[in-house]
Amino acid sequence: MTRHVKERPLNEGGMRRLERAVGVVLRVGVIVSSLCLAVGLVLSLAGAVPAVTGALLQVGIIVLLCTPVARVMVSTVEYVTDRDWPFASLTTIVLLELLASAVAALAFNRRI
Amino acid sequence: MPVVTPALASIVFAAGAVAGALGALLGLGGGIFLVPFLNLGFNFPISIAAAISLTTVIATSSAVSAGRAGKQLINMRLGMLLEVATAAGSLFGGVTAQFLSQSTLQRLFGIVAMVVALVMLTRLKRRNVMLDPSIDPGVLGGRFYDQESGGMVTYRVKRLPLAIGASFVAGNVSSMLGIGGGIIKVPILNAWCGMPMRAAAATSAFMIGVTATAGAVIYYGRGQILPILAAAAVLGVQLGSWGGLRFGQRASAKWLKILMAFVLIVVSGLMFVRAAR
Repeated sequence: MTRHVKERPLNEGGMRRLERAVGVVLRVGVIVSSLCLAVGLVLSLAGAVPAVTGALLQVGIIVLLCTPVARVMVSTVEYVTDRDWPFASLTTIVLLELLASAVAALAFNRRI
Repeated sequence: MPVVTPALASIVFAAGAVAGALGALLGLGGGIFLVPFLNLGFNFPISIAAAISLTTVIATSSAVSAGRAGKQLINMRLGMLLEVATAAGSLFGGVTAQFLSQSTLQRLFGIVAMVVALVMLTRLKRRNVMLDPSIDPGVLGGRFYDQESGGMVTYRVKRLPLAIGASFVAGNVSSMLGIGGGIIKVPILNAWCGMPMRAAAATSAFMIGVTATAGAVIYYGRGQILPILAAAAVLGVQLGSWGGLRFGQRASAKWLKILMAFVLIVVSGLMFVRAAR
């Protein structure tokens, strides 16, 4: 399966490290959020204490929402480490856009 | 507001599983099936259906991309570049959704889906694949091992402004209708931007998590993500996409395209039906 191909002009080692880091962040986020959601769902359908199940479900949803954000943060750090400034800037812009979406959520929340 | 019962949670779980399997196969994210199902089938308000769907889209994207990371099928550089456009579109869409008529947007979406389906069907034989691994993929191109061709596949990305524009529109539609937006990006990346189907689908699925988050955060802030139903849908989708991913690696690119075009036509019809109500 692993064939040797001609090196790309870019930093292959850095790209492989980035892919691994991104994979770890996504996997951890999915596992933690799924566990919280699964336990919370089963407990709430079984009629357990609403405060506990509600908290578990909220944590699950928040971890889920934070997973892509964490993935972009890790990418930004990796690109800065590699001194890949164009892509460090692009991922920073994405983070700012996600921040703006949270600000918009708060604004709508207050108005309604 | 739907009344949350164990029966409803089970139905949402099952619907999530089916949507997740189809989404993983097509690189769509699954929301394209879940939103019409919840909205048409169970009369959920479109905002609630979209909010639940967006959470499952994030879960699918994260799970599928975690499994694929390191295999070079995801074009991370292109993905991160296009995310700037999808996140901006999603943010813009989430805000303007408060002021625009849903039915206008649904009709527009129906037209777009139909056009894209026809484009897919007329370009079934295009493969965008260069089996010579010494070709320079450029800064944004990619290279991966393709089982169907039995070798390293190299491609260059063409018409970048079109990809950026399509990503913005995809992000916009994503947060307004609760879908991932792969339905717009994947066919355009494949048909006009030189990406092999599999790389386009993997890269789109990777980007969709960020796109959906930009929209989902707004729904979350407004309390529209109902926890129990979102949990049931997310877990169903996880199960379904796990199954779909196993099957998808053996499906041929041509078969995937035909299936995807068929799905687009059905979705288009559903959009018009919903808009006419």
